[in-house]
This record gives sequence, structure tokens and C-alpha cells, in this order.
Amino acid sequence: MTIEFSLTDRQRQLKEMIHRFAVDVVRPRSLAWDRQHFVDEDFMASFVQMANAMGGGAGGFGIQGMSAGTKLEDEPADKKKKSGQMVSTVLSAEELALGDGALLISLPGPGLGGPPVRASGTPEQKERFLSIFKDMSQGLKWGAYGLTEPGAGSDVAGIRTSCRKDGKHWVLDGRKCYITNGGRASWNVIFATIDPALGRAGHRAFVVEKGTPGFSIGKIEDKMGLRASETAELVLEECRVPEENLLGGEEKYQSKEGFMTAMKTFDNTRPLVAAMALGIGRAAYEYARDFVKENYLLSRPIPRYAAIAERLARVGRQLAAARVVTWRAAWLADQEIANAKEASMSKALAGQAAIRACIEAIEICGAHGAIAEEHQLLEKWFRDIKVYDIFEGTGQIQRIVISKRLIEGLKGF
Amino acid sequence: MIGFEPSEDQKLMRDAVAGFADTLGARLREVEKARELPADARKTAVEMGLGGSVSVAESHGGAGLGMVTAVLLEETIAARDAAAAFALPGAGALATAVAELGTAEQARAALESLAGPDRFGAVAWGEKAPNRERAGFSTTAEREGDSWILRGEKAHVLHGDRADVFVVFAQVDPAKGWDGVGAFVVEKGAPGLGAGPRATTLGLDAASFASVTLDGVRVPDAARLLGGDDFGAALVRFFVKEGLKVAARCVGLCQTAVAVTTTYVTDRKAFGKPIGHFQAIAFTVADRAMDVDAARALVWRAASLWDQVAAGTAKERDALLASGHAISFAQEAAMRCGDDAVQLHGGAGFVRDYPVEKLMRDAKQMQLCVLTAEHADQIAAACELGAPFDLGLVLPTPEGVGTFV
Repeated sequence: MTIEFSLTDRQRQLKEMIHRFAVDVVRPRSLAWDRQHFVDEDFMASFVQMANAMGGGAGGFGIQGMSAGTKLEDEPADKKKKSGQMVSTVLSAEELALGDGALLISLPGPGLGGPPVRASGTPEQKERFLSIFKDMSQGLKWGAYGLTEPGAGSDVAGIRTSCRKDGKHWVLDGRKCYITNGGRASWNVIFATIDPALGRAGHRAFVVEKGTPGFSIGKIEDKMGLRASETAELVLEECRVPEENLLGGEEKYQSKEGFMTAMKTFDNTRPLVAAMALGIGRAAYEYARDFVKENYLLSRPIPRYAAIAERLARVGRQLAAARVVTWRAAWLADQEIANAKEASMSKALAGQAAIRACIEAIEICGAHGAIAEEHQLLEKWFRDIKVYDIFEGTGQIQRIVISKRLIEGLKGF
Repeated sequence: MIGFEPSEDQKLMRDAVAGFADTLGARLREVEKARELPADARKTAVEMGLGGSVSVAESHGGAGLGMVTAVLLEETIAARDAAAAFALPGAGALATAVAELGTAEQARAALESLAGPDRFGAVAWGEKAPNRERAGFSTTAEREGDSWILRGEKAHVLHGDRADVFVVFAQVDPAKGWDGVGAFVVEKGAPGLGAGPRATTLGLDAASFASVTLDGVRVPDAARLLGGDDFGAALVRFFVKEGLKVAARCVGLCQTAVAVTTTYVTDRKAFGKPIGHFQAIAFTVADRAMDVDAARALVWRAASLWDQVAAGTAKERDALLASGHAISFAQEAAMRCGDDAVQLHGGAGFVRDYPVEKLMRDAKQMQLCVLTAEHADQIAAACELGAPFDLGLVLPTPEGVGTFV
């Protein structure tokens, strides 16, 4: 074991390749996607093809979980440790987010629905629900994760969507909101409760397939940023789900496992979201840095220049701080060491650092920065970044997770 | 490969140093009151080889253990008592100065002369006031045959009242401003060399800071440290590497502030429950815990880059940039951690029964040691912008914010 921060040759190549792709190919298209509210499907199709050609789905781009991930199982532990799989994933995610944040979360594949199916699904369920992503030559496919409800966001235990057994089916009733890719998904992992009074113990997770009777798509949200990403409302009215779609099967729910399924997803996705936020924050930071380079006479250390340099440096260091914490959370995941606290830290720090970077970049560029003509990208990043301190747990929720792991006897507030 | 775990050797060293530092932590207030480390601790520190030259290359008379090892040990000591990390005998900042500015031979000679027990090195950089006539130091070095004559008064010098060997900075070429500075090795006992009274400081009480007077001190030409082929670059390296060690001490202080405060908010009850179970308190603890983790990882990363620079696998500018980030972040984090530690202790934090008021004072003073966050920011920005270093801007000259070196 060592303390070191150099990348392996493979990581360096991957990072460099994704960087070029993000900046040269993705970024020029991102404004059009933002305006039309979707990423072109043929673009995503060629993206998936390319990723497959490079060693198979997720592996190709090094991004697990939220993209074209087609692997049925996670890598074995010792292989993960050696390859630094999660570290590679966050490195890649940051680079790709330099191009466009919405693309990353719009990519076909099981998305956030992947981790719970992989972690809790029976072998048959894994085969059934994940194998559909193996071949997308006839059309792109998505999975999604339906947890949030109009009345329960961070307070997952408070979900009200109900489920009751009726013969060989479960009947679900309720509404889910803010579900990324929920409308176009081939299936959604839907969390429901047999009895709200039971709290977490009453939770059940179902894989609800498109076309299930009683399942429909509500409104598609109009958002501040990440406008090319689909955010859907899902409606379940007497929705009859076959019992084989209860994730993990009946015996899985004898304990608190149901809730743990929901939460386990986040220990790995929070560093990933942190890395994406860093990509957007870095894009804005580098934009402002280059603007300063071109617009100030660097050979003159006038006080005004020193003040701008300091603002840049503050942004740079906050991003750097969030980045090393994110790497550490990912490294812990690769070492199979519990990382819930560090995962939350990475997200809390990265979200704030990246928002700060976008705000400062606009200010440093002055009026230029707010003009949606020449500096449209900056204006877009400013809108895109805010949600990174909200989704996958707000900054405040991260602090709850962190403090519960620091302060003895603190179970909740 | 990215990794966050010290090697087995590093762990062994860290554990040994932790054992030693625990003996200091147990005497925290005693040491503070005495305003120096006890004799037994000074002796042990010298035996353990703690004294500034841990990271200096063996070719230059150091232990050659690298910067990562050095910052691990600095953090370990400072977690028990940040002041002790400054008060240790040995070459201290002088080790970094001679390693960066001197030839291998000069560095070896200086470090060897400081090897004995209770010997101190010092770097006389600061001055009380800026020169109002021109840029650069008021202290001058004038050539006289094969010698240099040093005249002036240096200020805020760590170990200034007790050092056996000094590196003194003086103006060699008054016309060149901050690019006309030179460095000289001066030994205790040189005629004309004197020390001012020891300063009473806000924090870091165990460490001694004093001014140094040079009244026509004569040193041979061989005592001049030329800084290789680029004196300015060597000077920046000295400040950044030494500043990174201070940053590591800040990490140690952060760690302790958060640990002590977490215990306090768990034990202290109000309104029927531990105060840590209120969000306003818990979130503050969470924020400061993030400071600890972030500052530590930044310091490790910068240290690791310096080790890579030494191995020829990284660029100096990258190490300077990472160090700039680490120094400014860790210093400000230490101040936040010290401040919040006192704040969350309430009245108990303000009285000296608890250690946190010391942490807060030490943190503030550490923000003024070697480099300030503002200097580190200017260094990082210059690296990012590809701008040359303006020494008057990136170094703690008397024209700007002076620091204790």
C-alpha cells in the first residue's frame, strides 16, 4: 500500500480519450440538446457502439452503474481492487461531464436501476432485466429508479406508494416524481410499502415493466438545467405487477433489507455524481481561466489582477479538495471498505465547489459570462450545476449521513 | 495508481512518532507555560531524527525519506501539539532552505553541523517594515574582497534567539528589487550577529520567535547560497515545500479539534439530549470533518507530487500548483476547525480548562507561518495561468503580509 496519486497507464489513456471526446465531440452538440430537451438518439447509439467496441459496454468507457452498463454482475472484489474500477469510473465521469452533464445521465443502460437489481435481484431477475441491454442494435433501452414521491424525497422511509398482494400479483398505487429516464425506461425499480406504519421494514422494491397495466407516464418536467435529460412523473393506478418482479423474492424482506436496497445504491453513486459535478465545475473554471488569460495583461501584477488570480485560485482549490475526497471515496469502494460517510462528503463538497465555480466564472467573465450568445456554454453550466447539490441527496442530507457516522448515539434528528 | 494508505514503513515510523508525541500531548499546558519543549523531549526528538531533514535527499545530508513521509510525521506531531512541531530542535526550516538554495556540499555541511543535541537552525527572512526607497530588503549584503558584509535587522525568525546556524536573506543588488535578493549561511558567534528579545505571540507558545540583528557580519563568499541556475525558482520551492509542512501541521490540528469537539458535543447535554443531536451542531461537526479529510488528501497529494518530481515523473509546476491548493486550504481549514471547536464548546471553550482555545490561537498563528493562504493562492493562480512568478507578490515580503519563517 502506498499514498500516491498517479494514474495507471490504462487510466491515463482512458481519461485522455474521454477528455478529447467530451470537449471535441460532445460539447459542440450540448447547446442544441439543451434547447431541444433531448440528446439525439443516433448520437447515443453511436456512443454505445463505440463503448462496446472498446471492451464491452460500461467497461469501454469505464463508467459503471449510470451509463451503458451491461454487466450482469459487479467485478469480483480482488479484480476491482487491482484495477481500481471505481476510481477509473469517477475519473471518466469527470471527463465526460466536461462535455455535457445531461448526456451522462441520459445514456442508455440500466442507469440507477442497475445497482439495486445487481445487488438484490435473484439470478433469474438479473438475467431477465439486465440482459436486455446487451444488444441495443434494434433500439436503445433504459432502466430507471423510482423512489422519490411528491411527499417523500430525502425522507425515503416516508414513501406512501402502496403495494398489496393479490393472488400471483402485487397491486401498486401511488405516484413517483423526478425520475430520470423514467418515461422511456423499459423498466423502473419502484419502491412501495406494504404499510407506512412499518417504516423501512414495510418497503418492497419491484421491477415495473413498461406496459404493465395501471402504469403510466405523468408529466415530463421543465427544468432550470440538465434540460436534455428526461425527468418524468410515474403514475401507478391499480398497477398489477407479477410476483416474479418483486426484487429479490419474498424472503429478502424478512429484515430491513428493503430499505437497505434503496440506500446501498447511493454509496457508489454519490462519488459518481460528485465526479460529474466536478466535471461541470471544472469546465466553468477552465473557461474563466482562459478568459482571464486572454483578457488581462499577465505581466502586470496590478492589484486588480492579484484579486482575480485569488478568486480563480479559491475556485481551483475547492475543486481540487472535492476531487481528492471523491477519489478517496471511490478508492474505499474498490478496497471494499465501508464508505458511506466519505461518499456523502464527496458529494457535499463537490456540489458546492462546482456551484461556486460556475458562479465565480460568470462573475469573472463579467457581462460576457451572462450573455447567452458568445458565452452560452457558461450560461448553460450555471443552470446545469445547481441540481448536483440536490439530487442523490441534498447537501443537507449528506451532512445528516456524515454526522450520524461521527456523533455517537445519533440516530436521527 | 491512486492510493490512500501509508506503506508499512511509513506506518511504523508514524506509530513511533505518535508514541513520542503522546508524551508531549500529555503535557500540553505545561509545555505551553514553560514556552519550550522539555529537555527529555528535545533529546528524544533528536534521537528519532525529527528536525526538518526527513525529506531532504541523502545526497544533501538528509534522511531521504521523501515528502509524503515528512507530512505524515508533521501531522502526527501537530495532532498532539502543533506548537511542538515548530519548537523541535534540529535544522527545521533551514534544512529545506539549504536543500533548495545550496549545493549538495553546502547543504551537507550545514545539516551536519546541526546534528548534535539541542542545536537549532533558523531562516532569517522577514523584516519589520518595508523599504520605502526601493523594492527589496533593507538588510544588505555588500561585497568586500572575498567576503560579504551583512547589515540590517531581520524579524519574526523562528528560533532566532537560539539558532546555531542561520540562513540570512539580504539585498545583494538594490537595483533589482525582489530579484536582487541573496541568501547566506551565518553561524552563531559571528561578530556583529545578535538576537532581539523573544516575542510574545498569540499562539505556538512553545516555539520561540525573535528578531536577528546583523551589524556588519562578515561571511565568506562560500557561505552564499546561489540557488542553482534560478535563484527565484529555488526560493519559491523553499517556501512552498516548507509551507506544505506547515499545512501538514494544520491537518493535525484540524483532526484534533474535530475529535475533541465531537466528544464534547456527545457528552454535553441541553434540552434533554446531547447537543450534538441538534442539527446546527451536528452539521457544523460534519463540515469540519470534511475539512479534515479534504485538507489531508490535498496535502498528501502535493507531497506525493514532490516525491514524483524528485523521481523525475512529474513536473515542478504541477507540484507547486497542488501545494498552493493544499497550503491555502489546510490553513483556512485549521482556522475554521479551531474557531468552531471553541464555538461549539461555548463558554467552556473560552477557558483554559479545555484545549480548544489553544487550538484556535495556534491555528491563527499557523496561518501566518511561512506562507499565507493568499500567497499560496497567488502561486497556484500563476501556475494555472502560466504566468511567471512575481516574487514580490507570491512571497511574504515586508511589502505585503509578513510571516514567521
